[in-house]
Amino acid sequence: MAQATATAKKKTGNTTRQKIIKAYQRHVLRHGENPSSVFAFCEDIKIEEATFYKYFSGFEQIQGSFWRSLFEENLDRLENTPEWEEFAVREKLLSFYFSFFESLKQNRSYALYSLQDGGRQLNPDRKELEELKKPYKRWIKALMAEGRNKEEIASRSRLSDQYDALFWYQLLFLLDFWRKDGSTAFERTDEAIEKAVNLAFDLIEKNAIDSAFDFGKFLFQNFR
Amino acid sequence: MKEQDRVYASRFSRTGKFVSTGAKVGRNYLKHFSKKLVSGEDSRDELNERNADDIYNALSNLKGSALKVAQMLSLDQGILPQQYSEKFSQAQYSAPPLSYPLVVKTFQQYFDQSPRELFDSFSQKSIAAASIGQVHQAEKDGQKLAVKIQYPGVANSIDSDLRIVQPMVKAMFDISQSELDHYLAEVKERLLEETEYELELERGQKIAEEVSSLEGLKCPRYYPEYSAPRVLTMEWIDGLHLKEFLATDPSQEERNRVGQIIWDFYDLQIHALQEVHADPHPGNFLFMPDGNVGVIDFGCVKTFSKAFYERYFTLMKPALSDDRAEFNQLLRELNFILPSDNEEEVEHFQDVYSDVLELLGRPFFSEKFDYADDSYFEEVYGLSDVYQNDPLLRNAKAARGPRDAIYLNRTYFGLYSILHLLGAEVETRSRVGELFPQAS
Repeated sequence: MAQATATAKKKTGNTTRQKIIKAYQRHVLRHGENPSSVFAFCEDIKIEEATFYKYFSGFEQIQGSFWRSLFEENLDRLENTPEWEEFAVREKLLSFYFSFFESLKQNRSYALYSLQDGGRQLNPDRKELEELKKPYKRWIKALMAEGRNKEEIASRSRLSDQYDALFWYQLLFLLDFWRKDGSTAFERTDEAIEKAVNLAFDLIEKNAIDSAFDFGKFLFQNFR
Repeated sequence: MKEQDRVYASRFSRTGKFVSTGAKVGRNYLKHFSKKLVSGEDSRDELNERNADDIYNALSNLKGSALKVAQMLSLDQGILPQQYSEKFSQAQYSAPPLSYPLVVKTFQQYFDQSPRELFDSFSQKSIAAASIGQVHQAEKDGQKLAVKIQYPGVANSIDSDLRIVQPMVKAMFDISQSELDHYLAEVKERLLEETEYELELERGQKIAEEVSSLEGLKCPRYYPEYSAPRVLTMEWIDGLHLKEFLATDPSQEERNRVGQIIWDFYDLQIHALQEVHADPHPGNFLFMPDGNVGVIDFGCVKTFSKAFYERYFTLMKPALSDDRAEFNQLLRELNFILPSDNEEEVEHFQDVYSDVLELLGRPFFSEKFDYADDSYFEEVYGLSDVYQNDPLLRNAKAARGPRDAIYLNRTYFGLYSILHLLGAEVETRSRVGELFPQAS
């Protein structure tokens, strides 16, 4: 009984949260800017200001939550597909990008607003993208570790530590590409994803250079 | 799928070009070189090997439709030595394949389901690649299927690809701008059609139905419920490719039998439907265990207007070349003779075309024709060699012949080469006779 109330409560909590997010997105898309204050915003959508603060500390946090839940929802869904475990890390990243940009499509206007901040350029330092950056980099780190375990990716001491940062730039590049993409169904973005990911993995995979280096080291150690 | 089809094509293609644009001549310096390579003659040509290598490298770096155009032109113009064109036909395999996640995404986009959900099984890796897509094998309710998936953005890139390739092929093949435009306009139309899988679905189904009366011919069943603008699902056809079929050392009767099936298939399409599978290279035919011949890939289909068809084939009317006035009139209507031609040119081109027609129409003028006959094909090359040295043709400023003829001639050309490869003797009965009943 107590449990049932808790779920019910969580449910209403979720819908209020969703309601705030939707109302906020509608507002910025219509007006091109944040509401003048939390007070005014709450009055418009007829909720108590206190209710607002139960879920968010301010407008920036709403924006950030858009990106974070987009990331989490997509990853969640993918991890539950039967093929996920068979995939090499390259395919995991590709799948993630395709699915991520597919859901972005549903929210393109808002995403563009959020990326451009009213201006014409993508602003990579926008605070709300931080909410995407942190979990994304964490996931990439885990993915790279998995790749090393499966010997798909070469360990290159100090460079390997930077991979998460490099892939973050890749995601920013793709976001920017998608933002400017005018092709039907954003087919060009699909191509960009394939090519960018393939290039990245061709570079970080174990390849001839690694083997040559390894062999050279072996010779050096044995015949100096 | 398309491995061995160009082996002979480079030799035949000199004729192909010849017919295709009305004895257009690309007598360029490469010609010397290719001849030298093929025949082993050591001519004193100033060319060195690097030249051909450079060209091969330049061409094989092209992707997508640019590659396709360059390939077609190089074969039509017959400038690539056999060794290269063999290597070249493999180049189209090297287009980057679609990753499996993108295949899944494409399915999600059109069917809201992943391929593994839609089918009982689906191969994660593609089993064949073509220049604009790749083929996966699937199974549903015990039926083996071939699922073709197109690379994203192919249709949009055709225009820009052709623009990139234009100046390059123009320099390489030494052809005039007007000829190139003439050619590319037609090629572009076909390439665009090839990217429309829904059109292929429709045409594949239609042609399959129309030719169902032909015994021994098998077209795949298409599955509209598993097809979309960039996904095409059809019945999987098991069978040997031409090369493998020939390796089983089939008897002469067997060769004649399959050759006859292929001949009848094309004759019906061209003369009854005026709509033809215009890509008759050996890779599109499968020799099935039950003796049937399977035809796949209806991506490149050319349709003709009745008016064009009748004019064009009336050129073959027996004894027409004796009636100079009517012949002349037809050549003018079909643009083989241009209004700007002077009297000498008119005379000359009439002779040229009448010779060509006699030679290429020869199979039609007897009840049976033996395509194994090397001397016939040699005569064909010989003819093209003679005219390649023809100054009037070489200096032609404008493109000759109707645009519609480009693919029609390619089709006949491909058909003749396949029959030659098969070494088949076929009964060249043809519905073309219905065009001039009084003559037979």
